[in-house]
Amino acid sequence: MTYVALTILGPLAAMVAILLIRRAAPALALIGVGVALIGAITTLVNVAGGARYAATLPGLPEFPLRLIATPLTAVLSTVIAVVGAFVMLYAIGYMEEEGGKVRFFVQMSFFVAAMETLVLAGDWVLLLAAWEMIGLASYMLIGFWYEEEGIGEAATRAFLYTRTADLGLYVGIFILVSQAGTTEISDTLEVGGTAAFAASLLILLAAAGKSAQTPLQGWLQDAMAGPTPVSALLHSATLVAAGAILLIRAFPLFPPGTLLVVGALGGVTAVVAGVMAVADRDLKRLLAASTSSQYGFMLLALGVGSPVAALAHLTAHAAMKSSLFLGSGVFQHARGSTDFSKLSGIGRERPFVFAGFTVAGLALAGVPPLAGFWSKDAVIAATFESPYAWLFSPLALFGTALTGIYVARTLRLLWKGEKQDEPVAGMAWMGAGMSGLVALAIILGFALEPLAGLVGGGLPRDLLTVVLGAAVAISGLALGWFVPADSLLGPVRASAEKGFRIGGGFEQFVARPALAVARVTDAFDGGIHRGVLTVGHAGLAVARASRITDEKGIDGLIFALVRGTRNLGRRARRLQTGLVHKELLLAVTGGVLILTFLAVRTLVL
Amino acid sequence: MATLIVALIVGAILFGVGLYGSLSQTNLVMIMMGVELILAGAMVNLVAFWRFLHPEAYSGQMFVLIVMTVMALEMAVGFGVGTARFRYKGSVEMEEARDLKG
Amino acid sequence: MLQTIFVGLFGIAAIWFGVVVFTTSSMVRSALALLFSQAAVGAMFLAMQTEFLGVLQIMMMGTEMSIMAIFMVMYMMDPGGLMGMDMTHQKRISQVAGVLGALVVVGIVFLVGWGSIAGSVPPDQQVHGLGIELMERSMLIFETAGITILTAMIATIAVALERRQ
Repeated sequence: MTYVALTILGPLAAMVAILLIRRAAPALALIGVGVALIGAITTLVNVAGGARYAATLPGLPEFPLRLIATPLTAVLSTVIAVVGAFVMLYAIGYMEEEGGKVRFFVQMSFFVAAMETLVLAGDWVLLLAAWEMIGLASYMLIGFWYEEEGIGEAATRAFLYTRTADLGLYVGIFILVSQAGTTEISDTLEVGGTAAFAASLLILLAAAGKSAQTPLQGWLQDAMAGPTPVSALLHSATLVAAGAILLIRAFPLFPPGTLLVVGALGGVTAVVAGVMAVADRDLKRLLAASTSSQYGFMLLALGVGSPVAALAHLTAHAAMKSSLFLGSGVFQHARGSTDFSKLSGIGRERPFVFAGFTVAGLALAGVPPLAGFWSKDAVIAATFESPYAWLFSPLALFGTALTGIYVARTLRLLWKGEKQDEPVAGMAWMGAGMSGLVALAIILGFALEPLAGLVGGGLPRDLLTVVLGAAVAISGLALGWFVPADSLLGPVRASAEKGFRIGGGFEQFVARPALAVARVTDAFDGGIHRGVLTVGHAGLAVARASRITDEKGIDGLIFALVRGTRNLGRRARRLQTGLVHKELLLAVTGGVLILTFLAVRTLVL
Repeated sequence: MATLIVALIVGAILFGVGLYGSLSQTNLVMIMMGVELILAGAMVNLVAFWRFLHPEAYSGQMFVLIVMTVMALEMAVGFGVGTARFRYKGSVEMEEARDLKG
Repeated sequence: MLQTIFVGLFGIAAIWFGVVVFTTSSMVRSALALLFSQAAVGAMFLAMQTEFLGVLQIMMMGTEMSIMAIFMVMYMMDPGGLMGMDMTHQKRISQVAGVLGALVVVGIVFLVGWGSIAGSVPPDQQVHGLGIELMERSMLIFETAGITILTAMIATIAVALERRQ
């Protein structure tokens, strides 16, 4: 059953190959993700046929690494591989005229490998490692155009937000592992009592951070600074889904108290992020807010005790939102911006892309019989079955209406206006990638029921909610099309546009503390630095002193000697003429003197 | 005995003439000639000493050979220096050679 | 007796020509005078039964003085001595030094007791004996003289060579 490993090894090998060869990066990345797709589908087929797979890899002592293929992980793995393959196909066209292809495709391949590892991980250690790797990949890909102003900051902000939330995951996993004595996920989930309550809340924190739930939704809009394929793959379908995936996998752990928190959080996010989406003036930021909102729906489904509905919505959302992002990427290339003011009339200009965008948008809004209708319907039905239906159902319905409103608003803004034809490079690749995902957005609705059956348990459904959901969605669409956002939101609009950054935004709660800690450590570091400098200065002073004694003392002595010798030589030169005959005479005189002395001595003695 | 005395006196006078020459001449070559005469006087003395005092020891003759070598070397080096000097100044007059004063 | 006469005659010739070296005003003549003086010294050697050194002295000085004459002509602008210029300096003190030197040496000659005088030397063994001396007892000195000659040759050529940049 090596094909499970293929899903991870394919993109990993592609990454290594691109790094080594440094050319034909798009083709290699596409091959890598294609291998992953084959592996994932094969796994899914085999798992559907009843096979189970678990591999134990050597890891930390007593904590081996595990890969497992259960129906849940197989479905998630397939979702990631499918979206990854289509986005990679699209990225070939998108990146055609961009620099840094090698870097881009290396990081994308790395991300796919890390994400597959995350969903297939069978123990917390491996999951945590993959969690960190996708965070890293996200950071690098948001900052892909790091030369441009503000991009680096956006990447850092997104990284800080998710990192802060990740602390919850660390502590939660620590509690679970210390209680259960093993790192295997399925075993640790059986821990009960206070430990389960604390751990589940901490895990929820991590998931809320990764899935951009209120109040940590701000970073996702910043993340839109990255290339659009990155937004489509990481920040809608997979990386953001990691939070929901974590919750789905850890669902057995959650006691009812936590579930209520999960549901409330999801419901609030669905509404708050939805309002933000209605207010936004930028296509990609609108889609990012919508993503937060849709993950709110998934948490809502989890909160009312239906992980299957959450999974169904996750799957459908992956296809729909990725399609929307891919469409927006085409618009972005055509107009050089994603601001609505620059995108007016783009719909008439690119009818095919706009058609795909519209279909995906309607699917997201929940128009039957598209995919979003079925999944959202399942979520709404689940809320009605909950004991807290009075709380959750209105939230779900309101969120659905908001979805309709912002989808219709978007379509209207894109359609109305003048068209201005400009060619877009790489349209064939982009079209191929996008049409595949749009097709999935249309037909996936009919596959959700079998998928749910595979995972275990059917999707919740009743006639009332079907009618209600569809009606709310369509009325929301109508409202969004005919009523402008300003009059719809009124005074809330200004605040919503800024992302409801209460009290200076969540900078206050996340970035500031992080930066304060950074400052403190920097001051500490500076202190050490100063200490080192002081020691260095002292050493220099000693050296200077010794140099002075050297120059004034020893050197002075030597120079004095030299000067003395020279003076002596100058004086001695005056005594002699330099003439050979005079010297000879002197020599003779000297010889005479010596001889006389010798003779006298001989005679006397 | 008389022969030895005669030879030694001849050597002494040659020495005196050579000394006068080497001290009084202004030309490098002439100075060298004076030195040659001094050495000739020395050689006469050496030969006389060998012949009349120790004819059994040939070191006396050996000494003369060495003196001849010195004469030849003095000639050679002197002319080498003279040539260099002539090239440089166009003359070998020692009155003009004050370079050694520095 | 005969030997004394010959030594004295050749000695007078050597001194005479030695004086002529510094009294004539012609370069060529003074070189020739030195040649004759040295030849007379060589003849004195022969008169004192020193055949090898006598012949060597005459041959060597003949060659040496000829070379000296050539250099004289080369260096002096006035080889024939026609301008009659005086080429001496510090004449008085030199004369005093020369006369005094000679007198002192003569005085020493008469003051020293010379001891017994050796008889005649067997003439047929002389060159052989000198060869044995050179190649046995005094070989180191002889070899040193050879090396010195070589060194002087190299040094002379190095000094006399035209300077190059």
